[in-house]
Amino acid sequence: MRHIDVHAHLAPQVLWQAFEQGQDWHGMSHETRGGAEFIIGHGKRILINSPKIRYTPEQRLADMDAEGTDVQVVSIHTPLFPYHWETARAVNASREVNDEIAGMAKQWPNRFAGMATLPVQDVDAAIAELERAVKVLGLKGAELDTVANDGLNWDEPRFLPLFKAAEELDALLFFHPQPQDNIVAVERTLRYGIPNSVGVVLEDALVVATLICGGILDQCPNLRVCIAHGGGGACFAMGRIDHGWQVRSEARVNILRPPSAYQKQIYYDFLTSSEAGLRFLIDTVGADHVVIGSDWPFVGWDPSPGGWLEGLQTLSQDEKEKIAWRNLESLLGI
Amino acid sequence: MRTIDFHAHLTPQCFWHATEGSGDWHSLRRENDARGREILVVGDRRGQLPPKSSWTPEQRLSDMDSLGVDIHVVSPYSGFYNYELDTDLAVATSRESNDEISQMMKSWPDRFAGLATLPMQDVPAAIAELERVMVDLSFKGAVIDDKINDKLLDEPEFLPFWKAAEQLGAFILFHQGGDTIVDRRIQRYHLPNSVGNLADRTITFASLVMGGVMDACPDLRICLSHGGGFACYGAGRMDRGWERIPEADRLAALPPSQYLNRFYYDSIVYTEQSLRFLIDSVGVERVVFGTDWPYDMAQDWPVSWILSMDSLTQDEKDAILWQNLENLLGI
Repeated sequence: MRHIDVHAHLAPQVLWQAFEQGQDWHGMSHETRGGAEFIIGHGKRILINSPKIRYTPEQRLADMDAEGTDVQVVSIHTPLFPYHWETARAVNASREVNDEIAGMAKQWPNRFAGMATLPVQDVDAAIAELERAVKVLGLKGAELDTVANDGLNWDEPRFLPLFKAAEELDALLFFHPQPQDNIVAVERTLRYGIPNSVGVVLEDALVVATLICGGILDQCPNLRVCIAHGGGGACFAMGRIDHGWQVRSEARVNILRPPSAYQKQIYYDFLTSSEAGLRFLIDTVGADHVVIGSDWPFVGWDPSPGGWLEGLQTLSQDEKEKIAWRNLESLLGI
Repeated sequence: MRTIDFHAHLTPQCFWHATEGSGDWHSLRRENDARGREILVVGDRRGQLPPKSSWTPEQRLSDMDSLGVDIHVVSPYSGFYNYELDTDLAVATSRESNDEISQMMKSWPDRFAGLATLPMQDVPAAIAELERVMVDLSFKGAVIDDKINDKLLDEPEFLPFWKAAEQLGAFILFHQGGDTIVDRRIQRYHLPNSVGNLADRTITFASLVMGGVMDACPDLRICLSHGGGFACYGAGRMDRGWERIPEADRLAALPPSQYLNRFYYDSIVYTEQSLRFLIDSVGVERVVFGTDWPYDMAQDWPVSWILSMDSLTQDEKDAILWQNLENLLGI
């Protein structure tokens, strides 16, 4: 059985190389404080909480070999999204990251595929970079945050051309929230790691609801979307979102069908953190729409992402095959 | 079979009477929007009052009869929390609302039980009112918001409240009031309610557990409305987050999923699959019937909905519809 992983993060070598030379990288710099390492800049302080995030492609490959992962679909570590940077800098940084990921996919075509980073604060520039990434660099799509620049949601009309372009390009859009600096941290609490453990789930569920209720999936019926962390709690909450659609006219402005009718248009990674949660997701959206997402290198798997999947008692062999590789093989042609 | 509804709101008659014409009730007012709907006005906050919210107890009883609901465990509508008002005003609105529920319980002891609203912005005042309703008025507990103004309930200042609730055997129902966390992100598509309520409940679960409140108060009885939001579905990820907290810094002795069966959850999760998942996650003895009467997010035929489920045994249906609450509340 092949194992293809849609959810594998990267902090680019170009960033580490700049740090090693004592330079910053587009306004991001390196800091060691109290024994911990950080990437700081653009108002962010990103804790480096896994040494593997520095790995070279060769080291990454060795780690993938140890885990039995055949292919990683690589995308940037989301705190490095440049949405709130000055546009020209965001465009340049995106190009550098995308070039590096494309280089990995070119050098190890059987081991890496890539997702682009886009400067979404300028939608035209984002579309141009997505086109370059897919057509010129051969990347499979792009990774997007669950919220765009300045707190804008993806249902804002300005983003529709981006989704239309992605649909036209057969590009996969992989949505992944900020692990720390998200809605829970901003609005409620920083304690006990709740922004990561709860905030991520809420962000994922919100982006599913926003893409559906915002009519994006209606207007772009062939758009390929994948949500990290199993879509958060979206599948569990869909009955309530449906009920809101029934009783509130403002929930029906963009869509003619109930929200649940759209949830199978979306792909979800299997990172639900429990077998029961994964079983629920599969029963709700179908095994055809669930794929491996390991969150490399931030989650430790026992024994490995694919090994965890294969050991599950409540999934059939056919379901495991689809989730492990068949779905992504046909979706991305890898 | 009986049916006991733990999630049933009250907009008290004293408010409706005092706000006839252009009057106010302890500074709360009422107005009509462009479509003629009744709107509650508290300071600059507005909340929509659905048609049934003005109903008298007699009208409520006939609706309960038509729905097949024997008992409402009545709680004041969360628009009446008034945590942002002066304590004196909140004490007054709490006492009057609670007294009205007490009257309903006296007039129809077989049909109504009570959950109080409390002036939570002043912890001693909240404890005093909780003691009054529990000891003098035979209430079953109280309803509170997921946040008290900008504070979550794991703040140390609330620990005396939790201790008092534990000691009094008061059942605390969590229900959002005013904006949810989602309001600040997106106000469209009813998502502040449909996703936001679930989000706020999940944060309450996580902060009470990881803040050590459930360890500090082992006999505390808390019910998370709306099925506890994503608590049961998201507990696996919370466990991983808890594991990352250095052992010396952990306020909870066990990973969060181990506390799922320390809470109670109402049944209003809209799909049979989700209810089944909730039951399998927390145990059927932890799930209680709740309808969200009289709001539009309530299901039309909540008793029939439970009874019609193929994936629940009759014992499970009985536990949810009445037995759990009969045992827990002595009603």
